[in-house]
Amino acid sequence: MTAPFSHLDLLEAEAIHIFREAAAQFRRPVLMYSIGKDSTVLLHLARKAFWPQKPPFPLLHIDTTWKFRDMIEFRNKTVREFGLDLIVHTNEDGIKRGINPYDYSPSVYTDVMKTQPLKQALDKYGFDAAFGGARRDEESSRAKERVFSFRSPGHRWDPRRQRPEMWNLLNGRLGPGETVRVFPLSNWTERDVWRYILRENLDVVPLYFAAKRPTIVRNGQLLVIDDDRLPLQPGETPQMKSVRFRTLGCWPLTAAVPSTADDIEAVVEETLGARTSERQGRLIDHDQVGAMERKKQEGYF
Amino acid sequence: MTAVTAIRREDLAPAFNQELNGILHLLTCGSVDDGKSTLIGRLLWDASDLYDDQRETINKSSNAATGGAHPDFSLLLDGLVAEREQGITIDIAWRYFDTSTRRFVVIDSPGHEQYTRNMASGASHADVAIMLVDARHGVKRQTRRHAAILDIVGVKRVILAVNKMDLVDWSQDKFRSIENDFRELTLRFGFREAIAIPVSAVGGDNVARTSEHMPWYTGPHLLEHLERIPSRDVTVRGAFRMPVQTVLRDGVDFRGLAGTVASGFISVGDRITDALSGQSAHVLRIATMGRDLEVAKQGQAVALQLDTDIDVARGAVLSAADKLPTVAAHIDARIVWLWETPFDPGNGYFLRTSTDLAPISTIAINSLLDLETLAVLPSEKCGVNDIANTTITLGRPVAVDTFADNQATGIFLIVDALTGASVAGGVITSASRGEADNATAFRLTRELLERGLCRDLGNSDDDRREFQRRANETALLLHAAGIPVKIEI
Repeated sequence: MTAPFSHLDLLEAEAIHIFREAAAQFRRPVLMYSIGKDSTVLLHLARKAFWPQKPPFPLLHIDTTWKFRDMIEFRNKTVREFGLDLIVHTNEDGIKRGINPYDYSPSVYTDVMKTQPLKQALDKYGFDAAFGGARRDEESSRAKERVFSFRSPGHRWDPRRQRPEMWNLLNGRLGPGETVRVFPLSNWTERDVWRYILRENLDVVPLYFAAKRPTIVRNGQLLVIDDDRLPLQPGETPQMKSVRFRTLGCWPLTAAVPSTADDIEAVVEETLGARTSERQGRLIDHDQVGAMERKKQEGYF
Repeated sequence: MTAVTAIRREDLAPAFNQELNGILHLLTCGSVDDGKSTLIGRLLWDASDLYDDQRETINKSSNAATGGAHPDFSLLLDGLVAEREQGITIDIAWRYFDTSTRRFVVIDSPGHEQYTRNMASGASHADVAIMLVDARHGVKRQTRRHAAILDIVGVKRVILAVNKMDLVDWSQDKFRSIENDFRELTLRFGFREAIAIPVSAVGGDNVARTSEHMPWYTGPHLLEHLERIPSRDVTVRGAFRMPVQTVLRDGVDFRGLAGTVASGFISVGDRITDALSGQSAHVLRIATMGRDLEVAKQGQAVALQLDTDIDVARGAVLSAADKLPTVAAHIDARIVWLWETPFDPGNGYFLRTSTDLAPISTIAINSLLDLETLAVLPSEKCGVNDIANTTITLGRPVAVDTFADNQATGIFLIVDALTGASVAGGVITSASRGEADNATAFRLTRELLERGLCRDLGNSDDDRREFQRRANETALLLHAAGIPVKIEI
């Protein structure tokens, strides 16, 4: 027989299998596209799963209006390049109320600008299934997540109502009012994502690579100032530092790390040797004990 | 602020951009009292590439919980807040770690009796299972229960970790006696390999390093043994089977039957047969996005283009022409009931195979298996955590194998038609066409559907999928009205 597969080959095949199962079983799927590295891998796998067709579903981006400018540019370029359909949705009500990431606590901000608009968009377009890039290795409440994660009416996640998943059989029959979140990258780790980006030679947002950027230090976290909306406190003078991001989100809530890794090989090398997990850089997760679990129950990814 | 420490490129030479040699899925079963979470936590702590902040969190939490005596390794595993507070694990948790050559997936399943279903679903993903016992108590009823469940879902390799050896003064006699009980127990099942290892999870003895306390034990330590086990992903066996998931086209002349090779392998030029329709064709092309392949083997996701356009769609199982699956409307199976709501003969159910979905006409519960005595008890009822021998009659035949012949095509789920829940998982012990049984059933034919309910549908892939769906749902309604149905489409 031919040589055995590497673990990345197996993970890729599994993700393609999941994409095809979901697309065949659900009426109106959508791919949650958040522009970051996981979304990049997710989209690449979706293209592989349905090639030579285009993925039979649109992309949905929940735009909080606080994403890095580089992210939006990358999003638009990607959609153009692959000829995909993109739906951008923002919680206009949140904008009107002036909800922003610095005056409000991370939990309020996330709820109003991420969780609520996600539910709004899913309801508005009648999506019954949403692909997401969540991984079980990210956080302890996600370690118990299913590949097909069912949501009751109102998009609530009830850990006790999740269906057992046996072998590789994926049952997509929805109960009344149910929708589903589908996680093709469930069994990937952060390191796999990078190894795969390198192997498949995928383009990612330039913010993942080190460059001189204007930074301030706030609450012990290194923030990159992307525009002039964030009121600076006394003593906070942006300084140019060579930094990059391990994870991307809303810029006032996403910490950078000092780094000189300015190409994909160097980033992979740094990630494989990294001593801290990526979510350390996300301020919303440290808000309270079990924060992610609560957010999930409320309908956050 | 934590800086990402850059490490020198040459240090990483072997690991940099390295792809690991396969994935080993490892199930852990046992109860909290046996120190299961501690054992796995210890394995992660000693053998894997944990992040510093994870180690720090454990050290910090442990000081509160254990008064700082030692890190509480179990905190690496117990996930949900509710469970952490109760101190028990109720749901399967997935963990990942890499040694220098291999990816390990730890499937942590609850040990309590009332969670048989969780354990069964966890075990269905496993290459190997670690069963844990306390050296002071030895093999218990629960161990027997676990062995029976592992055997049913097809786990072929088991390890008995005899934990807390420190509490029996590292006694060889104690261990040997437990090992004997274990050997006796495993002989009753179809395991390919069963080994007992004396460990102390708290101290790390024989977990990821050889214990100096037990020189009398000359076998491998736990990690050493795990490293040697072949993972089933890379072990190609069985006749070629590929359940078709969907049909892909390029709008010109490409029509690819997309799916994951479930067993065996296929080469360009090979002859394949769709057992359901009896049609055959040769493989013209094995396509993937990057490149075409000459051979596709078990585990690979591909699209097959055939030399003649045989009329197959989702649900078909493309098979080696000389070794076909059974086209069965009649199945004997062993099932694990997974859902809180018990089996109800008046309810509508579907049988879900890898990619096919067929309405079930009847499920007859023949007997229940007593997991501790392995006695078979006659019963017509079946509820949560029960393991039952059943006979299932389908409204339409599906292509299946027995579980003994093929682990990928000998499995199914029973799906509640109304709630959609996966109420049971099953393995097929025998399958037959079973035409005679359905002689009195109402024949729901293609003509009948085309005339009315499906007259708006054409011949596109989408329309055919919809046709199938309407036929299924119609059968279900008739079944609910007490009319036995046989779909002939």
